Amino acid sequence: MGETTTILFEVFIDTIGYWWVIIPTIFLGLIVGGIPGFSAANTIIILMPLTLAMDLQTGLVFMVTLYCAARMGAGIPAILVNIPGTAGAAATPLDGYPMAKAGKGQQALAISFVSSSIGGLLTTLIALATMPLLARVGFYMHSVEMIVVMLFGISLIASIASQDMLKGLIAGFLGLMIGSIGTDVVYATPRGTFGFLELYDGVPLIPALVGLFAVSEAFIIIEKRVIVSHEGDVKTGSWHDTFEGVRIALRHWWHIVWTSVIGLIIGVIPGAGASIASFVAYQQSRSLSKTPELYGTGHPQGLIAPESANNGVTSGTLVPLLVLGIPGGATAAIMLVVMQYHGVSFGPSLFETQPEIGYGMFMAMAVAYLLMFLTILPLSRYMSHVTTIPTIYLAPMIISFTLVGGFVPREYMFDMYLALGFGLLGYIARRTGYHVAAILIGVILGPLLERYFLLALKKSDGDIMTLFSSKLGNVLWVALFFSLVLPAVFDWRRKRRELMGQQRKLVG
Amino acid sequence: MKRTLNRRTFLGTSAVATGIALAAPQIARAAGYPDRNIGVIIPTREGGGADRNFRAFTSIWKNKLNADFEPGFFPGASGRVGYEVYMGKKAPDAYSLIFGNMGPEVLNWAMQAPSFDVNDYFYFGRVDTDPGCLFVGVESPLKTLDDVIAEGKKRRLNVGTSRMAHPASIGLLALGEETGADFNLIPLSGGKNTVAGAVTGEVDFSVLTSGSVIAAGEAVKTLLVFGENRVGERLHNAPGMNDVYGTDLPEMLSSRAFAIHKKAADDFPERFETLTSTFKATFDDPALLEAYIASKGTPEYLNYGGVEECGAFMTAMLELGAKYKPLLSGA
Repeated sequence: MGETTTILFEVFIDTIGYWWVIIPTIFLGLIVGGIPGFSAANTIIILMPLTLAMDLQTGLVFMVTLYCAARMGAGIPAILVNIPGTAGAAATPLDGYPMAKAGKGQQALAISFVSSSIGGLLTTLIALATMPLLARVGFYMHSVEMIVVMLFGISLIASIASQDMLKGLIAGFLGLMIGSIGTDVVYATPRGTFGFLELYDGVPLIPALVGLFAVSEAFIIIEKRVIVSHEGDVKTGSWHDTFEGVRIALRHWWHIVWTSVIGLIIGVIPGAGASIASFVAYQQSRSLSKTPELYGTGHPQGLIAPESANNGVTSGTLVPLLVLGIPGGATAAIMLVVMQYHGVSFGPSLFETQPEIGYGMFMAMAVAYLLMFLTILPLSRYMSHVTTIPTIYLAPMIISFTLVGGFVPREYMFDMYLALGFGLLGYIARRTGYHVAAILIGVILGPLLERYFLLALKKSDGDIMTLFSSKLGNVLWVALFFSLVLPAVFDWRRKRRELMGQQRKLVG
Repeated sequence: MKRTLNRRTFLGTSAVATGIALAAPQIARAAGYPDRNIGVIIPTREGGGADRNFRAFTSIWKNKLNADFEPGFFPGASGRVGYEVYMGKKAPDAYSLIFGNMGPEVLNWAMQAPSFDVNDYFYFGRVDTDPGCLFVGVESPLKTLDDVIAEGKKRRLNVGTSRMAHPASIGLLALGEETGADFNLIPLSGGKNTVAGAVTGEVDFSVLTSGSVIAAGEAVKTLLVFGENRVGERLHNAPGMNDVYGTDLPEMLSSRAFAIHKKAADDFPERFETLTSTFKATFDDPALLEAYIASKGTPEYLNYGGVEECGAFMTAMLELGAKYKPLLSGA
């Protein structure tokens, strides 16, 4: 134990010495994370020759920092202009953007930065302490269990639908239908592709994301002069607003802890990712809240949950990579390539033979989150001014940036047209009172649910009872049941108490 | 002096002009090819194995051809998008090639025909051959091939594969036919998930291209190779299927190769000859091995093949695909 602590301390000091890599990479990561379509994964691919030319430790510090910073950066446009930079930030605008519209963009950014940094830092330390245990999570979370996890996320549609049940469910089902476009996961039979080869792998996420959120938002804001509802509210932005955001976030420290742990656990599961984690965390946060009706209106807890969770995922994806050699996500898969290039062999022995690599990656993550907190937080004051830029400039910039973002992941012109199509769909949905988030949840989580469902059925030769064949799966089913039913029961009891209170007053 | 154009002069001049017009491109072709970069469609994502393999090989080939290669990545639909773009949008002028994987991508055609005639392109330069293999997670209760077969005779074993129409899947089905073991192929969408499936126990074991299995390191153990084990210990000295069971199954390979429009080879034979001769010369250059090792490829898998070898492999894949189509496509 003492020896491990000494090693960890040495590695920590060693990692601090890489500040000259970490600080510039933080800003690079914020930029690529903030531009839709770009991500840590494709930036590392683009910079691969540079990364391979660095010595291994420098390369790893660079990649890990980029990964964390990009994750945090994706939340900035999600909050300020309703454009999630990546699918992992898709749940962030649900409450972040209403705050920005209400002139509280600076507070929202501060909340996001604090939740992300603390969530990321905390889960990194938890991952370090419990790595052998966490690496086992993937051994228990198979297709049946993942079906239930997906349902946790998808049930958010019902929560959103609660404001207008029929429209919410129509939007959710539309999203699920769009998500089912593409070849089926078992026999690769094309469905609903309308003959477009570009749709064979399903509807690409980034064009759908930028179309539904950003392009439609651009169409909406062009009808106003600026984004904020009360013009001028943020023009006098001061440090006070930033500290208020920090205070709000710290007041909900326990919320940051448990939602980031959700992210950590989901991140550990190979194939799962930040988009699942943020929706599941948001759904759980809302279900367990005493004020679920405030979610979607600019409620701080609705912002803390997805931001803590998607940063919790970053440390989670490193665990199976280092312990088992199985990357937990796309960015971790590229790190694997770079590490293999340098001859790193994975497994528990890595922490004995090359502790500067094994522990070093987590330390790099911890140091990156620490430095991010210190370097980014002061910027929230200036970033929030985006919401005061006149929309005649902002809307064209949003449309052009996001269309390029839609193009980048696959470099198909088709994807730009698709983003425009989704933009039109999003605009019509907003104008007619349908919730675009409900559509997007279907588009993102629908294909994953279908994948796990078909795999479970294929493994059991079509026996539907396989869904209840695992102990852990059954525990999760029960948890899902209670997380759906209890809020409704609490809501009913609260309304009944209010009604009885009113009756007593009338009688009195 | 006044000149008049009579019938004789006209016909004579026309004949000379026509002759020059017809001969000029041939002269230019012979002298100038290639006078610009060669575009290469890669039907997978940038940064993957095909990309690294392509860059290593063309870093040597470009010196022989005196032209650079420009990759264009068109991933999607198991390679189908890239081939459709190549056949549908690229001019058949020998300035455009495709760098594909003859194993899984040709099997695709057997499952579902593309919009073009598969005989309208052909592979002319094989770069490597990477056999499929059967492997278990290190914690699997199935420790040996005998364990796998014995268990497969007792119950239906779930076997992970990157996709149904994959040479390794065919290898497994052939193993089942040979031994009577019952296997249920589970497509896990990609090599990473296929390794994870075996390691975490989502499936009983998996089959995959051996290069990806080598990369998985200590987490897995290989029990059988659907071809020849050219890397020995790195695949845990697993035997080849034909050696164990006396079968005559062709090697179930992932095999990357350059292909060209048939029309380009027919219309520009000199250009095609330049491509094939420089391709062969690349293999004769020791620098290729160095480039391949530097890109972290498996040097034992570098394996030259020309038009004939590629054609035979493509035919074998199409035949095997047709044979196993009901099992692989659910049709």
